[in-house]
Amino acid sequence: MDSHIKKVYVPMTETGFYILLCLREEAHGYGIVKKTEQLTHGEIKISPGTLYGSLSKMEKDGLIQFIREEENRKIYCITELGKQVLDLEMKRIERLYESMEEAK
Amino acid sequence: MENFKTEIRFFSIPEWKKEEKYLREQHKKGWEFVAVNGLCLYHFKKCEPKDMIYQLDYNPDSIYQKYEYIQLFSDCGWEYLQNYVGYSYFRKAASEMEKTEEEIFCDDASRLDMMKRVFAGRMIPLVVMFFSIIIPQIIMQSRVHTPFNYGLLVFFCVMFVVYLVMFIAFAIPYWKYYKSAHKK
Repeated sequence: MDSHIKKVYVPMTETGFYILLCLREEAHGYGIVKKTEQLTHGEIKISPGTLYGSLSKMEKDGLIQFIREEENRKIYCITELGKQVLDLEMKRIERLYESMEEAK
Repeated sequence: MENFKTEIRFFSIPEWKKEEKYLREQHKKGWEFVAVNGLCLYHFKKCEPKDMIYQLDYNPDSIYQKYEYIQLFSDCGWEYLQNYVGYSYFRKAASEMEKTEEEIFCDDASRLDMMKRVFAGRMIPLVVMFFSIIIPQIIMQSRVHTPFNYGLLVFFCVMFVVYLVMFIAFAIPYWKYYKSAHKK
């Protein structure tokens, strides 16, 4: 993983995190919005402008890849690099959570 | 009663938030936005007054995959209206939004990204003009003392102020989003 990827994605935005989390399975943009809503019990609703921008950026940086298109909806999936970044981020969040529990 | 009207409104480059507000106000007063074209000509059609949220995105990449771009917004309930000098216009009724008022961007990182795209696409040409034409002209014209050169000097000084105001108007929200997106 080069330094550019680390600088941009570690730590990452909440939206970025949910995109990668959802794309461990193939999904299109709106699928990501719906799944994130489910996972967060309606707490997080990703907006289309934010999502479109993040998907283009992540595709350019090789974190996700385009699989195919269905009725004008582009379907994406996470790449190896994307998995590594997600893993780093999960470890970071786990550490945060543990520290928070200890401090309680 | 006239059913259509056209207004001329000038919004400078950093003022898309003002433009969104203007379109929303018009719709609240019963004027539905139909199109913007030519030199800042805004066309409206009479309608039932309604709280309709208007949003602008600037994304040159979307031109190459326009259908996918519009589809994603429409899946999220945003109606695509048109493109005008690189900006895409969307709207969604406030009544269709669940809890809070929605925007097409949900975090400051993506608002900053939009400002970066606007900067690259629309502001850089102005910055180049500012430094390569306006400032050199002010220096040149202030050295020659004829009424004609004086007139030019006044003109370029006015341009200097107009540009400066525009740069500041761009820099303030940019800085705000930058701070917010980088405080992690």
